Amino acid sequence: MTCHACHEPVGGPVCVGCGALQAPPVDPDPFAILGLSRRYHLAPTEVEARYLKVARTIHPDKFVSRPSRDKQAALQWTAAVNEARRTLKDPVARARYLATGSARQDERGPSLDGAFLQQMFEWREAEEEAPGSMAAHAVALQVELEAEIDQIFSRWEGGGGALDAVPDRLARLKYVTGLLRPAGE
Amino acid sequence: MPNIGIDLGTTNSLVAVVMDGKARCLLDGEGASMLPSAVRYEGERVVVGREARDEAPAHAGSTFTSVKRFMGRAPSDCRADAALFGYRMDDTESRFVRFLVDGRAPVTPVEVSAEILRSLKQRAVECLFGEPGGAVITVPAYFDDAQRQATKDAARVAGIEVLRLLNEPTAAAIAYGLDKRDTGTFAVYDLGGGTFDISILRLDDGVFQVLSTAGDTHLGGDDFDRALADLAWAQILDEDERANSEEHRKGLLTILERTPSRHRALLLAARAAKHELTEKDGALVRLEAGLLTGVSRKQFEAAIRPVVERTGAACKRALSDAGLSPGEIDAVVLVGGSTRVPLVREYVAELFGREPCGELDPDEVVALGAAMQADLLSGQSSLGDDILLLDVIPLSLGLEVMGGVTEKFIPRCSTIPVNASHTFTTHVDGQTAVDLHVVQGDRELVKDNRSLGRFELRGLPPMPAGVPRVKVDFLVDADGLLRVSAREEHTGIEAQIEVKPSYGLSEADIERMLEDAIDHAETDVDERLLIEARVEAEGILAALDKALAADRALLGDGEAGAIEGVASALREAIAGADRERISTLSKDLDAVSAPFAQRRIERDLTQALSGRDAEVVGAELGLR
Ligand SMILES: Nc1ncnc2c1ncn2[C@@H]1O[C@H](COP(=O)(O)OP(=O)(O)OP(=O)(O)O)[C@@H](O)[C@H]1O
Ligand SMILES: [Mg+2]
Repeated sequence: MTCHACHEPVGGPVCVGCGALQAPPVDPDPFAILGLSRRYHLAPTEVEARYLKVARTIHPDKFVSRPSRDKQAALQWTAAVNEARRTLKDPVARARYLATGSARQDERGPSLDGAFLQQMFEWREAEEEAPGSMAAHAVALQVELEAEIDQIFSRWEGGGGALDAVPDRLARLKYVTGLLRPAGE
Repeated sequence: MPNIGIDLGTTNSLVAVVMDGKARCLLDGEGASMLPSAVRYEGERVVVGREARDEAPAHAGSTFTSVKRFMGRAPSDCRADAALFGYRMDDTESRFVRFLVDGRAPVTPVEVSAEILRSLKQRAVECLFGEPGGAVITVPAYFDDAQRQATKDAARVAGIEVLRLLNEPTAAAIAYGLDKRDTGTFAVYDLGGGTFDISILRLDDGVFQVLSTAGDTHLGGDDFDRALADLAWAQILDEDERANSEEHRKGLLTILERTPSRHRALLLAARAAKHELTEKDGALVRLEAGLLTGVSRKQFEAAIRPVVERTGAACKRALSDAGLSPGEIDAVVLVGGSTRVPLVREYVAELFGREPCGELDPDEVVALGAAMQADLLSGQSSLGDDILLLDVIPLSLGLEVMGGVTEKFIPRCSTIPVNASHTFTTHVDGQTAVDLHVVQGDRELVKDNRSLGRFELRGLPPMPAGVPRVKVDFLVDADGLLRVSAREEHTGIEAQIEVKPSYGLSEADIERMLEDAIDHAETDVDERLLIEARVEAEGILAALDKALAADRALLGDGEAGAIEGVASALREAIAGADRERISTLSKDLDAVSAPFAQRRIERDLTQALSGRDAEVVGAELGLR
């Protein structure tokens, strides 16, 4: 990117050369935007505190009597900061971002393996016989998957282990969470 | 000159300002803060306020009240509502609502609202001895994009610079929160003349965070009036018939007709009786000499209960969107004149399991909050710089996809500003344009949501089908208004976007209204522009003074002299009448002070990011 004001190369919100506030990056890193190191184990309160600190400086309300270029930049920065906060406060989005570089699941996502789908099919069948059994299974699996994801990240944060399994676990988690959602939502 | 806050209400409108650190409503010559939102056209003359409201029955064909209900709506959605008010719609116009007026050209709700705004602005000029700065104008939180845009258009027609559109319940929370510096979770229940909003907010250390909002933009005291009017009318006919059935039959009133003027009179009479029923157990609805009927509070409550209960669903949804149960709400704040109705209070108490509080005047609290926000936006507020307002978008935004289904790209209750982007491609070889249909609402099918507009991306380079990748960015700004931009990713060509708002005014419509308005206000365009230039210049000077007072240390060598030189030239220019000079010097001042302003932003950002991780971050962002 080059600075819109002095046309020198620039990498952050503010041009080092001339000080102009830049348009935010197209694909911003939520951790960098909020000034937090990349990790999964992150308390919502920590995200919130950082968010408020940053939002206070760049919110459009602080730029009302500035030229329209700055107003526009403040708007875009705040939108980026809002998005970063949303990603980092949601454990699923946070995990997905760390594992894939994108907070949102892309259209296809990882495909679930046959054994998993077979299991789901069996649960549905069992549900006919014993209503409520599916929810019990789903809750148990949800807890299990969340613990597994947690462990993967603990290892990774400790400097060992890869995140390759995360997208698949998130896809499974999404599936079981869907089973638990009341119909019509 | 100070910025002002305006509550543009369905029934009543107010203007307020912060003076000596305290918000107050500005009063008219008679000492009233509320301006009835009623407008009567009389040839060239326009009558706004109490007189227009009270004389509506005699001028039914040229008086408009409750036009806020028609703002930004499709003519096809408005026919029934217009009939209930006795308004005649101009059927030759299909893009926006226009009413026929006796003795003059038809008017749009935007123009009627502009008359109300103009009258409030005039009040401000008289009370403040000069042109006010910009304005914060409140809108119902549940207003969609088109309704917000229409409000902004009205301000433009009235010659008012809009600093921000502010949601009414949020404004009320500011008035409450800033007054007492409270901390906690609040529900603001706002039932006015024509709209209902419920917002759940968290207040903490100067941060006003809206967690969720819900409502109905066609629900309010007007509906109580109508229910009571229908009840009274039925009784009058009933009682009248009995009187007629005997020997008095001939020679007396034959059939009682609900003429437009009698309809207006009936609504006014019903409203007066409704107000009485707030205090008493019974009241008379007096239509005209000899035509009256008694209504008990019980009867009234039975008639309005269904309307009141419609607010419950929205309250439950707002709680669930905020992830809270009624027990987690620390206080329920009542706003809007219709919350005086005892049944409403009882219902709210039951819904939230606690007595609501209403310490501030429910009529004025929205305007007071708007004035506080206007003051905060001036950048030199005495209310404090540490205040941050985080509001949300009330309804999801989506795109029409195959099969008439809505694909949401921004979910409701997202904190604004918020953005989203989508990539589109072409379906035919050589296709150079793509059409997008943006809708607002939470329903599955496009036809059940509000159509906001059609966007046509043009000027794509001709390529085989599926190759172009057009990235469209949607950004909802701090006013809750959508902005759209697009670019083709391979070529980097900015696609041109033609916005065709489904319902609403085009730029040409607004310009025509501006010209009309200026003719009729007898001020010329030059004068208007001069005033705007002065207001802008004063804003820049004020912001600069404040920055200099706080951060003189950040100035480079000789910078102070350069800035102050231009600033004092600008101050002199403001006193004169040379608009060009004011504008040029404003731009110069902006340019010469830009590096200083940016240094301050940079410093603030770095400080905000400082702490354990900041160095890593700074390096990543290229800050240092
Ligand atoms: N004492 C009262 N008893 C019952 N209703 C009342 C009383 N006082 C005012 N109202 C009703 O309150 C309504 C007006 O309230 P308010 O001025 O808050 O509305 P508004 O701000 O104009 O409308 P909105 O916020 O919906 O745009 C009217 O319907 C009026 O009849
Ligand atoms: Mg109101």
